[in-house]
Amino acid sequence: MLELFAFVGLPYAAILICVAGTVWRFRNDQYGISSLSSQFLEGKKLLWGSAPWHIGILIIFLGHFIAFLMPGVWQRLMAVPLLLALAEMTGIAATVMCLLGLIVLFYRRLTSARLQKSTHIGDFIVTALLLAQVGLGLMVAGGYRWGASWSTGTLTPYIWSLITFSPEISVIRDMPIVIQAHVVGAWLILLVLPFTRLIHMVSVPLQYLFRSPQKVVWNNPRRNNQAVAARVTQESRRHFLKAAFGLSAAGLLLSVGVLDKLGRFFQMPGLHHDEEANLLETRLRRLQLTAEEKELELERLRSDYIYVAKLAELNGTVGKYFIDYSMRPGLAFRAEDGWPMLLSAKCTHLGCTVGNQVDASGRILCPCHVSYFDIKTGMPNEGAPAKAPLDRIAWVVRDEQGNEVATESPRGSRTGRLDPTLAEGYSLFIVRSLSAEA
Amino acid sequence: MDIRAQVSMVFHLDKCIGCHTCSVACKNVWTDRSGAEYMWWNNVETKPGTGFPHRWEDQDRYKGGWKLNGGKNLQLKSQSKLGGLLKLFYNPNQPGLEDYYEPWTYEYENLFDAPEGDDQPTAKPISQITGEEMKIERGPNWDDDLSGSPLYAANDVNYDQLTPEERQQLFEIQRVAFMYLPRICNHCANPSCVASCPSGALYKRGEDGIVLINQDVCRGWRACISACPYKKIYYNWVTGKSEKCILCYPRLETGQAPACFHSCVGRIRYLGVLLYDADRIESAMKTADPLLVEAQRDVICDPNDETVIASARANGISDEMIESARKSPVYKYVVQWKLALPLHIEYRTMPMLFYVPPLLPVMGKDGDQPYDHAEDSFFTSLDKSRLSIKYMARLFSAGNEAIVTASLKKLMAVRYYKRMQEVGDLQDDRVRRIMREAGTTPEEAEEIYLLTAVPTVHKRYVLPPLQREEAIGSMCDVQDCKGSCGFGTTSGAERNV
Repeated sequence: MLELFAFVGLPYAAILICVAGTVWRFRNDQYGISSLSSQFLEGKKLLWGSAPWHIGILIIFLGHFIAFLMPGVWQRLMAVPLLLALAEMTGIAATVMCLLGLIVLFYRRLTSARLQKSTHIGDFIVTALLLAQVGLGLMVAGGYRWGASWSTGTLTPYIWSLITFSPEISVIRDMPIVIQAHVVGAWLILLVLPFTRLIHMVSVPLQYLFRSPQKVVWNNPRRNNQAVAARVTQESRRHFLKAAFGLSAAGLLLSVGVLDKLGRFFQMPGLHHDEEANLLETRLRRLQLTAEEKELELERLRSDYIYVAKLAELNGTVGKYFIDYSMRPGLAFRAEDGWPMLLSAKCTHLGCTVGNQVDASGRILCPCHVSYFDIKTGMPNEGAPAKAPLDRIAWVVRDEQGNEVATESPRGSRTGRLDPTLAEGYSLFIVRSLSAEA
Repeated sequence: MDIRAQVSMVFHLDKCIGCHTCSVACKNVWTDRSGAEYMWWNNVETKPGTGFPHRWEDQDRYKGGWKLNGGKNLQLKSQSKLGGLLKLFYNPNQPGLEDYYEPWTYEYENLFDAPEGDDQPTAKPISQITGEEMKIERGPNWDDDLSGSPLYAANDVNYDQLTPEERQQLFEIQRVAFMYLPRICNHCANPSCVASCPSGALYKRGEDGIVLINQDVCRGWRACISACPYKKIYYNWVTGKSEKCILCYPRLETGQAPACFHSCVGRIRYLGVLLYDADRIESAMKTADPLLVEAQRDVICDPNDETVIASARANGISDEMIESARKSPVYKYVVQWKLALPLHIEYRTMPMLFYVPPLLPVMGKDGDQPYDHAEDSFFTSLDKSRLSIKYMARLFSAGNEAIVTASLKKLMAVRYYKRMQEVGDLQDDRVRRIMREAGTTPEEAEEIYLLTAVPTVHKRYVLPPLQREEAIGSMCDVQDCKGSCGFGTTSGAERNV
C-alpha cells in the first residue's frame, strides 16, 4: 500500500500539483515569480555556490532526461564501455559540484545576517530537499555502479509506465531503498516546485536569444486602432490568400484531371491486352448468365411444360434444383413410394435459397438463419425463424411417348398411377396450368 | 522616418545648490518601503567625486552601455546574448550592497522607552536590512562637498584623461572647485538596459519615451543593473525585482511635474517634449566619440517641420503632443541654443536628460575678485578655469572640448550682455564682439536670460497630455499607496516564498 502511494499516487499527485500550481502562479501571481537572487546582499560566496550548483545540476538534468526520453539511443551509447565510463565520471563530477555548491549556499544562508532577513521557510525546504536528493544521487552512483546503463532497463520503463497511464511498479518495488528514496525525492521536488523559489526554472528566459534589442510599447488609442486596422487588413488579406489558394488548388486538380483524360485520349494505348481480355471475358460471362436467365424466362413464357428431371435421377437424400414458372428456385425429390415431391426452395423467412441436402430426420436447412424444413410436409421446425411451410409445387410425369402418366396439384391431390417397371422412361415436368392455378 | 516623442529633461547646473530636496521628494514618494531603502532614483552628486554607487562611471568594472565593435556594430558591453544566459547564475558586473551603502535608521524608540538611568538615552544607528546596530561607513551622498579630498575626488573616474600635473593642480587647496550633478534615469533613446533584459520586462513607452520595468514580467535576472551605465536601475532585495525611476508617470499622466522637478528649490529643472527620428538612432550612435553630441542633436527633429509632423501623426502622436514639442524648453536648450549637453554620451545609450554645464567653477578664479571681468582675459579665463575644460568635456561631450567651450562661452556672453544692460559698466561694442564670438545675438541672449533666470513654472514644465499606463499606481492616492510598490501594482513589497 505504501509502495503504491510512493510510486504511483505521489508521482501523479506531484505532476498534477506541479502543473496546476505553475499555471495558477503564472495566472495570478506574476509579481511573485522571481529568481530571488541574493547576489546584491552577498556576492562573494555566491559565486562559489550558485555557479557550480547550477552548472552541475544542468549537466545532471541533461543526463537524466536523455536516459528517460531516448532510452534506446542512450542504451546504445552506453553499450560502449568508454562512453559509459565517461558518462559515469561526468555525472559523478557534476554531482560533487552540485553538492559543494549547495553546501556553500547553505553555509552562506546560515552565516549572513543580511541573507537571513531575505530567507523564508521555503528556502530551507528547498535546500534540504535538494541536499538530500543530490546526496542520494551520489549514493546511488557510488553504491550501484553503472546506473547510466542499468537505469534505462529499470527506471525508464517505470517513468514511461507512469506517462502512459499504466503504472508498473514491479521493477522499482524490489530496488534498494536508496534508489527508491531518490525517486521519491524527485517527486517531492516536483511537488513543491510551484510554491517555492524553484518556480524560476519555469521562466528561463530563452526568448532573449531571439528577440530584437529594443522594446517599445505604444499605448495610445490611435496607435492601437492603427494596429487593429493593420491586423484586420492583414487578416482579410490572409482570407483572400487562403481563398485564392483554395480556388487555384481546386482549379489545378481539375485541370490535371482534364489534361490526363486528354492525354489518354490522344496518347495513351489503353489497357494491356491481357487485362482487356480478362475484362472482356468477365463481361461476356455476365452477358451469358443474363442470356441464360432470359432463355429460361422465355421458355417459361412459351412452353406449357418445363422439364425438371428424369424420374429415375431423383432420390430422397439430395434434392435437384430447378426454376419454376415464377423464376423462383425449386427442389425436386423422390419419395420412398417412388412418387416425385416438389418443393419451393425459397425460404419463407427472408427468401434465401434453402439447401438440398436432406439430413437424417428428413429435413433440409436454410443456411441463412437456420430454419429446418421437413421435406415431406414443408413445415419448419419448432422455434425456427421461418414460420410458414415451404410451398409444394405441382408436377406432371410423362412417359416416353409424352402421355401424361400422373399429376399432382399444388394442393397435393394426385391422379394417375406410376408403373415401377416403366419408371426408367418417365420424365418429370412442371405445368403452367397447374402453376397458374396455384 | 519614424518620429517618436520623448518627454525630455534639462538640468541647469549653474542653478543647482545641492540641497537634495529632489532626492528626498523622490524617496518619500517612491522608495520609502522595504527592499528599496537604499535606492535613490534621484540623487545629487558632488563632482569631482566618486558618485553613487561608488565609482559608477567605471565601466571597466560595471560594463554598462554599448561598445562599438570594430566601428560597425553596437554591442552591449555587459553581455552577449548567450553570455547573458550564463550570467543568470552570477553576474560579475553587478554592484553589491557595499557599492551603494547599507541603509540605516535610528533607534528612536530608545529615546522614549529606555529605562531610567544616569545617562541621556541615545538613538543608535541600526541597519534597515538586518535591524542590528551598525557603524555608518558610507551613504548615498557620502562625498557631498568633499571635492579635493584624496579619498573621493581623487578617485573620480573622469580624471583618466588628465595628466598627473593637471590632476595635482585640482587638489591645490586654492584651486579646489566643485559642482553638483543631480541624476535621475536618462530615459535613453537607445537604452542598454532594455536590450539586456533577458525576460523582456523593460520597455520604452512609444508615446513619451519613458523607460519602465514591468514588475510582473521581471524575474530578477539583474542584467539591466550592470547594463545601465548610469547605474539607475536598482535591485529590490525583498521582492526580487529590479526598479528604476519612472519619471513619475502617474504624476505626468495627471498633469503634474515629476516629484523631483516639482520640489526643485533652485528651479534648475526643465521638462518638455522632443521629437526624434528612431530610424536614425543606430547610425548616430555609431559615430566616433567626439561627434556623438552633434549626431544626437541631429536625430532630434524640428517640431515645426511639416514632414516631421506628418510622420509623428502617422505614429499616433497626438497634436497636443506635437504642440507641446513646439513650446518645449528642452528643444531650445538642446538644439536651438546648443547649451544643454548629454551626460556621458560615449556610453552610446543616447540619454535624453541634458545638462547645462556650470559656469561658476569655470569663471571663478583665485585672486582679489570673485570673478575675473578683465577685458583682455575674457575668454582666456576658460583656459585657466579651476575646473578644467577637459574634465567638463569628459562628462558632457565625450571628450570634445570645443562643444563644452561653445556652451560655456555662450553662457558667459549672456551674462555680459545682461551686465551691460543692468549694471552698465561694460562697453556696448565690446559686448557685441563677445557675443559674436560666442555665436549668439541680443535676441537669443534675451531669450536665454528669460528662460534661465525668471521662467514661470509653466515655462519650465511644458507637460504634454499623456496616455495613462494601465496601472493601479496611476489611479491611486499617494497616501493610500505609500508602502506598496505604487507602480503597476498595489501588492505589498513582500518577499514571496
